[in-house]
Amino acid sequence: MVPALLALSRRAAFLISAAIVVVTVIVAVTAPWLPLPDPNGMEAAPYEPPGPGHWLGTDNYGRDVLARLAWGAQLALIVALVSSAIASVIGVILGSISGYFGGTVDALLSRTIDVFLLIPSFFLVLLIVALFGSRLEFTMLAIALTTWPRSARIMRAQVLSLKSRVYVQAARAAGASHGRTLVRHIIPNGLAPIITDATILMGLAVLTEAGLSFLGLGDQNAVSWGRMIFDGQRQLRIAPWMSIFPGIALLLLVASFNLLGDGLNEALNPQLRRLAARATPKPPMPVGEARPATPGPILDVSNLRMSYRLDSGQIMAVDGVSFRLQQGESLGVVGESGCGKSSLGAAILQVMAPNATTVAGDVDLGGIPILRDGRRVVSHDREMIADLRWTTAAMIFQSAMNALNPVIPVGAQLTEAYRLHRPGASHKEALARAAAVFDLIGVPRERLGSYPHELSGGMRQRVMIALSLLHEPKLVIADEPTTALDVLIQDQILGELDTLKRQMGLSLILISHDMGAVAETCERVAVMYAGEIVEMAPTETVFRSPQHPYTKALLAALPTVSGPCRVPAGLPGEPFSAGETTPGCRFAPRCSVAQDLCRSSRPPRVAVGAGHEALCHFPAGSAA
Amino acid sequence: MNLRRYVVLRLLQLVPVTLVVIIINFLLVHLAPGDVSIILAGDTADPAYLAAIRERYGLDRPFLEQLWRYLVQVGSGDLGLSFRSREPVFAEIMSRVPATLLLVGTSLGLSVIIGTVIGTWIARRPGSTTDSVVSALAVGLFSVPVFWLGLMLVLFFAVQLQLFPAMGMSSVDGPREGPGRILDILHHMVLPVLALMTVSVGQYVRLARSAVAEVMGESYITTVRAIGFSDRTIMMHYALRNALLPVVTVLGLQLGLVLTGAVLTETVFSWPGLGRLIYDAILARDTPVIMGAFIAMSVTVAFASLVTDLVYAFLDPRVAL
Repeated sequence: MVPALLALSRRAAFLISAAIVVVTVIVAVTAPWLPLPDPNGMEAAPYEPPGPGHWLGTDNYGRDVLARLAWGAQLALIVALVSSAIASVIGVILGSISGYFGGTVDALLSRTIDVFLLIPSFFLVLLIVALFGSRLEFTMLAIALTTWPRSARIMRAQVLSLKSRVYVQAARAAGASHGRTLVRHIIPNGLAPIITDATILMGLAVLTEAGLSFLGLGDQNAVSWGRMIFDGQRQLRIAPWMSIFPGIALLLLVASFNLLGDGLNEALNPQLRRLAARATPKPPMPVGEARPATPGPILDVSNLRMSYRLDSGQIMAVDGVSFRLQQGESLGVVGESGCGKSSLGAAILQVMAPNATTVAGDVDLGGIPILRDGRRVVSHDREMIADLRWTTAAMIFQSAMNALNPVIPVGAQLTEAYRLHRPGASHKEALARAAAVFDLIGVPRERLGSYPHELSGGMRQRVMIALSLLHEPKLVIADEPTTALDVLIQDQILGELDTLKRQMGLSLILISHDMGAVAETCERVAVMYAGEIVEMAPTETVFRSPQHPYTKALLAALPTVSGPCRVPAGLPGEPFSAGETTPGCRFAPRCSVAQDLCRSSRPPRVAVGAGHEALCHFPAGSAA
Repeated sequence: MNLRRYVVLRLLQLVPVTLVVIIINFLLVHLAPGDVSIILAGDTADPAYLAAIRERYGLDRPFLEQLWRYLVQVGSGDLGLSFRSREPVFAEIMSRVPATLLLVGTSLGLSVIIGTVIGTWIARRPGSTTDSVVSALAVGLFSVPVFWLGLMLVLFFAVQLQLFPAMGMSSVDGPREGPGRILDILHHMVLPVLALMTVSVGQYVRLARSAVAEVMGESYITTVRAIGFSDRTIMMHYALRNALLPVVTVLGLQLGLVLTGAVLTETVFSWPGLGRLIYDAILARDTPVIMGAFIAMSVTVAFASLVTDLVYAFLDPRVAL
């Protein structure tokens, strides 16, 4: 409801500005036929205030302000269109040549673009008009000649990214000339941002012309809004309407151009919309009303559901996940990308993306209720999770390059995190603790002063692990901790994690797409598919007798070094997309043993052995 | 060591901009209708002065030699003579710099601070009603013609309410020195600074908003959320710090627009700075002054972009010097 209204209000700004531009165009085109006095006629009395005779009053020569406004619209639009058209054409031509041919041509042209970008347009326009005379053609040409580098730079970037596309390469391979490839295949596909920017250029052009006219450099024979303000300036005290109305007209038209450009930009740029997408969380639940936590496990997740709000609607990334983790136990969560395993980790610590929210389920962490029915449990407006973050449960994020702040030395990131949860601690104590965890994970202490980009990938990931261990948490959630690293380092780091887990009695959740990594480190494995845990069992059991066809497929895809050499079996078909709905089993479309039943009804969760369950109509043993 | 090399390299990049600007100047004067000596000396020049100008620019020499002479002259800081005052243009420009610097510096500083604060504030919830409304208002602000806004401020605050003076930088009968003079100048500054600031503040609101919103989506922000830092600390300490980088970058590039605004604002308020000098030069068709101002403004903008690059390199450890 609220998001829909917001989308509407954004669209409202877009629609209103489009309407203003359309009205301006209509007025400009029909000005000669509108029932208005001659804009240059001096019949009326001068300085007549706005009234029934002259709606917006008359100026110092007795000319009708409304009529002049209408005729001024013509000039404003001509300037906007012609200048931005010339600038865009020059920009598109030079930008495409620069991007397409690269090498020396590009070096020369992009240097030229850089130089021209630095030249302040208005002063060059001023000089051109001062030297060549105040003719509208010169003004427009001058504006175009000073604004083309914007379009050129955009076009160059577009061409650079387009020229390696398959269809462009195909056209070249089929024998199309450079010119034809550019004109037919590249430029049309790269024009969208040029058009967006052209609307902004139009606003700029209108303002520039108005500024020139205001300085007395406008075309003397044309009716221009800037010129009207220039005339009105001297009569400000006796006839303020002379300058008020043309200013409002300018403001409305330029703002409309800018808002149109903005709206187009947003429509063409999904990145911007993604930033704006937000989910409204369920209202928090006071701790007094919440069912107390079940004593025992360090983590108890039951029927957790988490959804993302997207342009296209909602998708349920985590859909009814339940499991318990005892102190010191380790659980591997495995699945393909997009199965919801990372979302699960984020939901436990309540650090989801802004467009994600938990819609159902209970979570207890360290014997404290933090989520009830998808609502965050709070005590006096403070979330229960707030005091547990990093002290009870910490997280190791994937790709430490992005998970560590690039502009703060790693040591400072550690000490700040330490002092946050130990308010009394001195900087020295914090530094000592940071050094201690560095020792623990094998990062040289000298590295405390380094920035993330100065460390190797493996070192960065170790720093991330050190950060997670700062407060000796009971539970560490490691989200793909070794994905970005090469195999040797992966193995080292997993080994170190395993050792730490034993030494410190940590509970560990290892989220990974790699069955092998999980097998090495975890006692239990949960296999996730399309937001659900489809099979959960002790690691050995999973490897020895997988019950779910998906688990079997994952294991079959695992290459072996010791066994006979074979081609890993891939999994046919596309992963279930979380937006789809099906009455049956989500894996059925890709399942090699699916029956009619699988496609028509939800599979049950069946216990197939001690601590072993599978979400399947036909778990391996009972398959008919 | 590395820093010095970087600065020198970056300084060298000023050369092509300056060259291009000087050549544009030269070509425009030669392409313009009318005799070059009259363009440079003015319609009313006496034959003796015309001859002097011809001699000075070597106007009877071959084209390329004229260009070379002009390059050398401008390169050595000689921007020619104003034909109204017959004073060197360079000195005229320099004498106007302090007033413009005061106006531009104050309004730029204020708009960057206010814009960044507002932009950061609305970036907390991108897509919210507040965000949509404030963002649209910001677009409205930088669509305002600054000279018109200046007039409206004069109309309201100077003519109607008579709170602030409408023109000049100081009162004719005001104190000549001491705190009284400073107060007098501050009093005169309010309206022009307000006009110039209002127009540029919108840019910084939008810049800071998109930069902060983007940073808030980064993984390292998720990390500090997971560590348990409060939203406020994350915003002020982490997001803003990283988001200031793009704001700084644009600061240099936008200076051209701010200077444009300054010229128009000074015209409205008769502020005795560069803008006023240019306006008077336009009225008198004093071409050498307009040409000199164009060169001066271009070099200033290029230099500002150099300074921003240096500040950026200083703020972002990832930029290897």
